[in-house]
Amino acid sequence: MPGGDGALVPVSNENRGSVVVYPLHHGLNPPIARLAISWSRGNSLRVSVFRPPSEGEAGGKVVEVNLSNGDSEISDAQRRRIAYGSVSPFALLQSRRSSFSSLSKVPMTPSLYHLDWCEHVIEYSKDISSLLGGPKLPPSPIIEDPKAIFKKGEEPTYLKAAWEMMEIFYADKQSQAWLPERLVDWLADYDSLFSSTQATIHSKLVDFQKDIVNIQVIEDDSRYWEVISSALAVGWLDVVVKMLRLHGSYQLDQLSYRETENGLIEAVAVLISKMPRLRPESASGKLGECFKSKPDFNKAWEKWRAQITKLDCSAFWIHCDNLRTREGLKNMLQIMLGNIESLCMATCHWIELYISHFLYIRPFTMGIESMYSLAQKCIQSKPVSSAHRLTGLMIGILEENTEVVLAECSREYGPWMVAHAVELLTAGSEQAEILLYEERYNLGGISIGELHRLIYAQVLSSHALTWQIAPIYLTSCMKQGMSLLEILLYRQSVQHNELLLKNIELCRLYGLDHISSSIMKVAGVYHWKHGRKGSGIYWLQQAQDANRLHIIAQQLFDSVGKSISDESFKQWEGVIELLGSESKTAGGLEFLRKYRDFKKFLQQVPGGKSTEAARRAVDSLILLMKNPSTPQRFWLPLLYDSLKLLNWQDCPLLNVCETNLLLNKVQELSLARVRPDFKESSLPPEALSCVRLALATNLGRAILDE
Amino acid sequence: MAVTALSERPEIYRLPQYKYVDAVRWLPPLSAFDRFAVLALFDSDSDTSSIEINSFKPNPASLEPQSSWVSPSRVSSLKASQFLQKTIIAASTFAGSLHFLFSDSTDASLESEVSVPENELHHGPVSCVDLMDGGMECVSVAEDGKVNLVSVGNSSLNYRRVFDSSGLVSYTAARWASPVEFATGGYGFSLHWWDQRKPGGPVSQFKGNWDQKMTAGIVHSIDIHPSRKHTCLAGGSLGTVFAWDLRWQQQPIMLSRAGTVASDTEVQSVSEIMEFFTDIYLLSSFKNAEFSLGCLLVLLHSYNWTLAISEAFDKRKKLRRKPCTDFPFFISYQKRSNGIVLLNWRPILNLTFFVIPRQQ
Amino acid sequence: MAKPLLTLDSGTTCSSWNYCGVRLAAGSADGTLSIFDFRDPASSSSLRSTFKSRIREGNIVKIVWLPPENGDAVACIFADGILSLWEEFAEDSHPLQWKMCKSFGGSSSKVLDVQFGISSTSLKMVVAYSDGHVRVYELLNPLELNNWQLQAEFQNVIDSVSTFGKAACFSASISWNPQKGGSQDSSFIIGYNSNTSELNSSKVWEFDQAHQRWLPVAELALPEDKGDQVYGVAWAPNIGRPYETIAVATHKGLAIWHLGLNPEHDGRLPVERIALLSGHEGEVWQMEWDMSGMTLATTGRDGTVRLWQSNLNGAWHQQAAIQPTS
Repeated sequence: MPGGDGALVPVSNENRGSVVVYPLHHGLNPPIARLAISWSRGNSLRVSVFRPPSEGEAGGKVVEVNLSNGDSEISDAQRRRIAYGSVSPFALLQSRRSSFSSLSKVPMTPSLYHLDWCEHVIEYSKDISSLLGGPKLPPSPIIEDPKAIFKKGEEPTYLKAAWEMMEIFYADKQSQAWLPERLVDWLADYDSLFSSTQATIHSKLVDFQKDIVNIQVIEDDSRYWEVISSALAVGWLDVVVKMLRLHGSYQLDQLSYRETENGLIEAVAVLISKMPRLRPESASGKLGECFKSKPDFNKAWEKWRAQITKLDCSAFWIHCDNLRTREGLKNMLQIMLGNIESLCMATCHWIELYISHFLYIRPFTMGIESMYSLAQKCIQSKPVSSAHRLTGLMIGILEENTEVVLAECSREYGPWMVAHAVELLTAGSEQAEILLYEERYNLGGISIGELHRLIYAQVLSSHALTWQIAPIYLTSCMKQGMSLLEILLYRQSVQHNELLLKNIELCRLYGLDHISSSIMKVAGVYHWKHGRKGSGIYWLQQAQDANRLHIIAQQLFDSVGKSISDESFKQWEGVIELLGSESKTAGGLEFLRKYRDFKKFLQQVPGGKSTEAARRAVDSLILLMKNPSTPQRFWLPLLYDSLKLLNWQDCPLLNVCETNLLLNKVQELSLARVRPDFKESSLPPEALSCVRLALATNLGRAILDE
Repeated sequence: MAVTALSERPEIYRLPQYKYVDAVRWLPPLSAFDRFAVLALFDSDSDTSSIEINSFKPNPASLEPQSSWVSPSRVSSLKASQFLQKTIIAASTFAGSLHFLFSDSTDASLESEVSVPENELHHGPVSCVDLMDGGMECVSVAEDGKVNLVSVGNSSLNYRRVFDSSGLVSYTAARWASPVEFATGGYGFSLHWWDQRKPGGPVSQFKGNWDQKMTAGIVHSIDIHPSRKHTCLAGGSLGTVFAWDLRWQQQPIMLSRAGTVASDTEVQSVSEIMEFFTDIYLLSSFKNAEFSLGCLLVLLHSYNWTLAISEAFDKRKKLRRKPCTDFPFFISYQKRSNGIVLLNWRPILNLTFFVIPRQQ
Repeated sequence: MAKPLLTLDSGTTCSSWNYCGVRLAAGSADGTLSIFDFRDPASSSSLRSTFKSRIREGNIVKIVWLPPENGDAVACIFADGILSLWEEFAEDSHPLQWKMCKSFGGSSSKVLDVQFGISSTSLKMVVAYSDGHVRVYELLNPLELNNWQLQAEFQNVIDSVSTFGKAACFSASISWNPQKGGSQDSSFIIGYNSNTSELNSSKVWEFDQAHQRWLPVAELALPEDKGDQVYGVAWAPNIGRPYETIAVATHKGLAIWHLGLNPEHDGRLPVERIALLSGHEGEVWQMEWDMSGMTLATTGRDGTVRLWQSNLNGAWHQQAAIQPTS
């Protein structure tokens, strides 16, 4: 897929000059009238295809194209599992990097620093690697099939093979001394992956395993000897020894008259199991003798070769009448002696030949330059017809060309691989570190490393279930990550609370207050417009959007004004309750709360009996009338509702000062009536004069009282 | 009330699933041997939602699918209860429909399903459903401001509207307190108490003005323990959990909240508390053989979880000896990187979490 | 990799996704507006129709969603040049519905394009008319989409003295600077396809806060290309680059421009054409930048979707093409 190769490939690929064209199947009959495109989040592009109108035909199709499906080897669900799993190793490494860079100010020997860091990188690499395995294969039966040549733990994947190869070359500094041996192990794990393009030793073994039950006399089958020497060539010693023991001469009834033959086989088997290896230790049950130091190994190696030569020249061979056995074993000795022709014959793929060189011809560590020229030689003697996903990467690594390695990772394994492999590459060499972390104007001022993280974050953003881990990667991008994060967060839907809350939480986590207030504003308007007034007000309050709240207040006053009857006012209780909790940002809505209190007190004054309750009602009336946020159009309804308070039988409830305040308001109202924009309330026309009369009476009584 | 975070590390097992997990509950156990969990799953690749009953195997911890039912829309809320040897699972969806699944308690096979179609009870997503313990009543609330009661019969459903705020108030959580009372929660940390004997509206409302310093948020979850029916615990935004005692309505108690204002008796937590559970238990292990009553709080945030113990749940601090209700299994929500947690708590002895990563 | 989302009714002519990609509006030749919604959150394919109505006689040629801060609303441009704003809302205790808020344009001057931009204070709407005039409207009440105030009116020329009375414009393309908030003044780019060469070339207009007026600050055309008719313009999101990136399509191809952030002594912003790319061989219909501004997707008369990117050396090239087939 287009974006799959990370899109920004620095080196030429085969497609340079000609653009890859991908078909988009929409199922409509031609002709197509028009196209419309829209980017969804991340890398998904939605294409609408329209056709001219005609009877009985669909008018168009909308298709979503995901441009980031890098690797067909891995299912979407598996890819998401890897994405989720790699978050914590990545985040851990980033936090270690930042604590390391603060530490590096303290003088410390560079090598020590480097060593410490490499330990973190290798830990990271192992964590990631553990995620990449294929499905676990069923465990082998308890009673082992004697004829089962080899066992497997899990299905190998290209992704894991590529990752481990990079780990071997870049991250695992401690095993650098026995790198060839690590490659031997690597091939043992992943040789089957090369079978996709051509025959391999693994595929030969698998084929032979299938037939093994049908073969009567195994040593007479030429394939038996072929397969044994092949396995030997790439150092699968366990398999070789196991297969040797299947030889007919081991059968009890034949042991007596094939004594010499059997002795020779056993001698070869012993030599094989004693093969010196330059490595710390092999996995339990593996054959070969391990040596950590090079001098020890050299000594053992010379001794071992001398033993082979001795056996080769032994007189016993003449007494061995089985020609096939003799030739087969002799060939094996040649392989062990590093006979290039035998090795060439025994191996299939150049990489197998390459590995056999490490085992039998140059069993010493060598510089990466000579490893590269050796690889070139092997390719020459075993040319490949088509490129392979793993060899391209391997050659890039051997060439020490970071750009090629990046390009291979990107093209073959996609953005996930590049974003995570950068850590390995930079641990590998200073040059790579400079190349990957140097800021470039052409990239808009960011480094290649950051660019690949951005690209990966965008891939994560494309899926509804992975977008929320994109922030981890974006925040590790110094220059442009935060802006992209802002866009990503802003472009999430606010329709559902679960997503909205997560979104706001992410904003809080990364200190993006302005984005969270935009998001809450959008949510507030959405709910308000969709008939959920309470939620709308809540979110606008959270966004501290005084402007919209003020407008809402005006609208609410109209509704409240309409439903002044007590029954429907009950409906508003909930909203008013909501407003109470944060009156600062409630805009003019604060009024509603005071109004509610007033209404409540007024209700508690039934038949004009309780002066106590009436006083409370008056107090809240005065509060309301004093408050500047009380809209003018409510003044008259408020006063009219309070008529019974103003005309209180027992005593005047308002003092002179209070009465004067209310009279002033009445005065203001009368003046306002003249203005053209005045809205007449639905009260009876005599309301104002009733109020004025009541106030005048009250004033008179109050003056008398004082 | 002193609330302390639990110091012991509980055991944690991960049970990865291969679909997105919307919700998970233990089914009420009938026998000591079989444990079942019900999962609401969403497969984003095929765009299908389902409810799946899984049997739980402890050694090693794993879930094995037993039976499943395809849901027309994603599940927004899931509850399970038991009535006369039958397990009832109530599920609400984002499309607004309500579904009741009946399963045989012994083998967890799904036997039948009855549902209320969308736009019947609610417009838009249902926020929360709650099944009455050992009863056949289900309360459903939504942001559209409607509160409904559904009586679940074997093959039929009766439903009625308890209240409709016409969207002026949105409800986000609901919880039964007794066969006739339930509580609902909403925006601005509002709590309403409903009594079916007094229809027309809530009988009590929690006033949110008790702490000026507290920022208002949304109630995501309510818990009322069967032995403390007068106390409603509510949890929600900004790590807030508070207790509201109906007998002292003006004095809610803060148990947990975010930020600098939290005192040492409160648990601090920053993110949204999506769900939490309480249980009463004896504090014997903490107070040298002296039995006192405490409350265990399990707070499940959107990013992590906290276990906390509150030493005196009752304001009166009267110590009552009471055997622990065998309430052995709790369930719920999220852990960092989106896990959903099944909590298994055998009284006092051990706390075990089974974490189902929400997104594998 | 490709997933079918929806089949559209016969006669559908245009479609548009909202800001978060969960709602699709489609317009058709008989004036029908349809809205489709995903059924569930995070759902990837189950779109269903939630509104369908013939809102007016005539052919809807373009639909633009308003920014979400102003609710769920669309602007529909009809072939006869009428612009009609529709909004979804629920009035007290009535169910949710789509209603018309406002319409613009008429027989004398047809609306060719409309785009919305959020400034720090209010929502702004730029409308390009067929007589070569550009009008900028401001929304007075953010919760009511029927109350627009004309803030400015000008022609797309760099020196404001000359006016062209008899311009006949066939199409226009507007693109706002996607920058949200911040201290930056709001700006947009507009280009015309008309018979008056002075109007055609795409120019960047910026709001001068001090004098409350719109000023042209850059012209994205080489001296010899100034009269070229512009098919489309697209302003890329800037996530931190030290320059703005803008794509302009003319019959000569697709040009990628860099626009400097700091004005030169004459008040103009420095511009540089980075690339001139060919691919569509004809009219370009639409250009869309992805959310990082790294990939440009275009469609054109050749019926192909093309994707463009820059490589590590800053060289732009066509990355891939998507060819619809049945």
